[in-house]
Amino acid sequence: MKKLSLHPLTWWIWSLTLAIAVARLGSPIVAIASVGVMGVIVFSQRDDAPWSKSFSWTLKLSASILFIRTFIGVTIGVPVPGTNLFSLPILPLPHWMPGIRIGGAVTIERLTSALSEGVVICALIIIFGAAASLTSPHKLLRILPIYMYEFSVAVVISTSLVPQLVGSVSRIRQAQKLRGQSTKGFHSYRRLAIPLLEESLARSLDLAAAMDSRGYGISRLRSRYRPIQWRLPDSAIVLCGLLVMTLA
Amino acid sequence: MIKFSNVSLVYPNSTKTVLEDLTLDIAEGELVLVIGPTGSGKSSLLRLINGLVPHHTGGILAGDVSVDGVSTREVKPGGLAHLIGIVGQNPLHGFVADTVEEELAFSMEVMNLAPDVMRKRIEEALDFMSLTTLRSRQISTLSGGEQQRVAIASALVMHPKVLVLDEPTSALDPIAAEEVLSILHRLVHDLGITVVLAEHKLERVIGFADRIVYINGDGQTNVGTPSQIMQTSPLAPPIVHLARALGLSDIGLSVRDMRRLTETVRETISVPFQSAAKKPENPVIEIDTVTVAYGASTALNEVSATIYENEIVAVMGRNGAGKSSLLTAIAGVGHVTSGQVHIHSLESSSLAGNLRMKTVGFIPQEPSDLLYAQSVIKECHQADKDNQIEPGTTLKVLEQLVPGISHETHPRELSEGQRLGLALSIVLSSNPRVLILDEPTRGLDYEAKKTLTRILIEFAKTFNRAVVIATHDVELVAELATRVIFLADGDIVADGATIDVLLASPAFAPQVSKVMAPAPWLTVHDVIAAIKDQP
Repeated sequence: MKKLSLHPLTWWIWSLTLAIAVARLGSPIVAIASVGVMGVIVFSQRDDAPWSKSFSWTLKLSASILFIRTFIGVTIGVPVPGTNLFSLPILPLPHWMPGIRIGGAVTIERLTSALSEGVVICALIIIFGAAASLTSPHKLLRILPIYMYEFSVAVVISTSLVPQLVGSVSRIRQAQKLRGQSTKGFHSYRRLAIPLLEESLARSLDLAAAMDSRGYGISRLRSRYRPIQWRLPDSAIVLCGLLVMTLA
Repeated sequence: MIKFSNVSLVYPNSTKTVLEDLTLDIAEGELVLVIGPTGSGKSSLLRLINGLVPHHTGGILAGDVSVDGVSTREVKPGGLAHLIGIVGQNPLHGFVADTVEEELAFSMEVMNLAPDVMRKRIEEALDFMSLTTLRSRQISTLSGGEQQRVAIASALVMHPKVLVLDEPTSALDPIAAEEVLSILHRLVHDLGITVVLAEHKLERVIGFADRIVYINGDGQTNVGTPSQIMQTSPLAPPIVHLARALGLSDIGLSVRDMRRLTETVRETISVPFQSAAKKPENPVIEIDTVTVAYGASTALNEVSATIYENEIVAVMGRNGAGKSSLLTAIAGVGHVTSGQVHIHSLESSSLAGNLRMKTVGFIPQEPSDLLYAQSVIKECHQADKDNQIEPGTTLKVLEQLVPGISHETHPRELSEGQRLGLALSIVLSSNPRVLILDEPTRGLDYEAKKTLTRILIEFAKTFNRAVVIATHDVELVAELATRVIFLADGDIVADGATIDVLLASPAFAPQVSKVMAPAPWLTVHDVIAAIKDQP
C-alpha cells in the first residue's frame, strides 16, 4: 500500500472518532475489529521512525492491562449468577465490608463480562497508541499555536522523548544483562526505572535548553517553511471516522 | 564581540566556585578554545555566553557577560538566538525536528522569518556544510559526524555572529572530526564568525585555536595564546609532551612545526632493531564467521578473528563501521544473525548470571547504564552480592581506581571519569576473563585516560586476561593496545600489531609517529626509551 502524506491531526481525529464509536457501543467484537483495522493501518502506513516502534509497546501494555483487569474482575466483586466454571476459596473479610467478596465461584458470565470490559478499554488504548505511532510528534507540534508555549514545550519534550526512551530501555536492559542480572521480575523493573528516569530527566533538560537557545517562544508569530496542508485524503479519512461515529 | 567582566559563578546547593573573577574579551573572528579537567566548568563557561547559565540552570552570577553589546542579564537565551548559535555536547539531544531540512528551518520559523528568506538560507547552509544529499533524511538515521554538521548548519541559518560548541569532536572518528574542524576553520576565516569551543582531545583542535582559556577546576582561569598556555599546562597534546621530554626550547603545536624543531634529534637517534613480537598462544576469544544484519543493512559481514591471552585489542574504524556490533556479539548480548563467539570454549550468548560475570566484563558506551543504586557505597555492596564475592571487594577495587571518592555521592553526580571508574570496579571485582569496553574515553581528560590505560595494562598483565576496546582515540590506542583490528563497512580490513596498523594509515597515525616518521615510534615513551638505549 502506498504511504499517504497526511496532516498530523488526521490520524488523531480518526482515532478519536473510532474511540468514541467503540466506547459507545461497548461491544468487544467491535473493539477487536477496530484494533484489527488500526493494526492494518499502522503496519501499512508507519514510517521507519523511532516513534513508529511504540505501537508494539502499546500492544504489550494493553495485553498486561487486560490480564490484570480480568484477574481482578474475576476474583474480587459481587457474585454473578450463572454457569459455574470453578470455585476459588473465599477470603474472609471483616464484617464492616459487606458486599465485597474475594474469591468464590467463578461463573462464565462473570468471566465474560470482565473480559469484554477489559477488551474495550484495551481497544481504546491501542487506538490512541496507533495514532501516536502514525504521527510524527514534531509535526504535531508545528501546528500547535505558539501562545501555548509552556504546553507545547512539554508536549515536544514528552513526545520526542517517549520514543527515544524505548531505545534507552533496550540499551539499559542489555547493560543489566551484562552485569549478569536477570531482566525479568519485579526487581529488574526497579533497576531499569532508575537509570531510565534519570536519563529522561537529563534529556528533557537538554532539549528544553536547546529549544530555548534557538529562540523558541520569543516571537508570538511563527512562519512556516513548508506549510502543512490539509488535503483530500485527510478529509476523506476524517469523514470516514465521523461516519463510523454517527453510525455507532 | 564577547565580553566577560569580573564574572564569578556559583551553582545553587554547592559551595564550589565554578568561575572566579574571569575577565575576558573575545574579539570578532577569533577562535577560542576552552580547556580544563573534567567537571571544571567548561560547559558552564560556554553556556554563560548565551545566558543558559544562569537563566536555565539557576546559580549566582556576579559580574556581567555581554555579547555584541547585549548583556545576558537583560535578555533570555532566546533573545540572543539571532546572535549566538549553540551546539550542545550531544547534538542528538537537542534536535527538535525529524528531517534535516525541517531541523534547519526550526529556528527561522520560530523567529517568524519570511518563507523565501528561509528557503534561501537553508540552501546556503546545506551547500556550505555539504548536506545537500541528506536534506530529506531522518535525523535519527544519520551518523555522528553528519548529525554534528546538521547541528552546526541549523545554527548557521540564523547568520549568527558567535558560534559556541561543546566538545564537537569527542564522539567522532578522526576523519569526521577533521571535517567538522575544517568547517569551523572556514567559518572563522571566510565569514568572520567568532567561535568558542570546549574540547578534551587537544591534539585535534589546538592547531586551530587563536587563544586558550584554561580552567583549572577551582575557579581560577588562565587566558593566553596556545604556545603560552602550553608552556605550563598539565593538559597537553602528545606533541607538547614530546617537546617537553626532548627538552626543546620551543614548543611546536603542529606536526609541521615539531618536525622542524626535531630535525637534529631525529638525525642523531638511530632506529633500534625491533625484536619480533612473541607469537601469542592460548586463545581466549574465538569469533567464528559472525554476521550481524539489521533488516537489509549488514553491520558485520562474516567476521572471524581469534584474540589471545595478554592481548589488548583496539577495535577501530569510522562511525557505523560495526564496532559496537562486534563488541556486543563478543559479549553475547548483541543480535547475531549467524556465526558464533566462544570465550574459553563457552558460547558467549548462552552465558548467564554469575558465570557471565566471571567470564565477560562489559563497559557500555554509557557506563551509567550499569548503575542504578542511590550511592556509590550501595552500588559496591550490590556488586559484591551479585558477584557472590566477599563483601567489600568492589569498594577495595574502587579505592584503587579512584582514590578519595566520596561514598555517599549519587552516581549521577560523579564526574565522567569517576563514573567510569565505578562501573569499571563493579565489572573488575568479579575478575572476568575478558574485559570489553565500548568508547570509554568520551569526555575523559588526559589524566583520567592515563589512569584508565594504567589499569587496563595491569589487568591484562597480572591476570593474563584479554581486553577488547572500541575507540576513536588514536593516542589512547598508541599508549594502550598491543593489537588493532580495523573495521570498515562490516569487514575486518586490517588486523595486526598496533604499530603496523596505525603507521599504515595517515588518518589514524598518532601525532608522535607523524613527527618522528619514518622511525616507528608511537608514543613519547617510545621515543624516550629509544634515546636512552643510544650508545
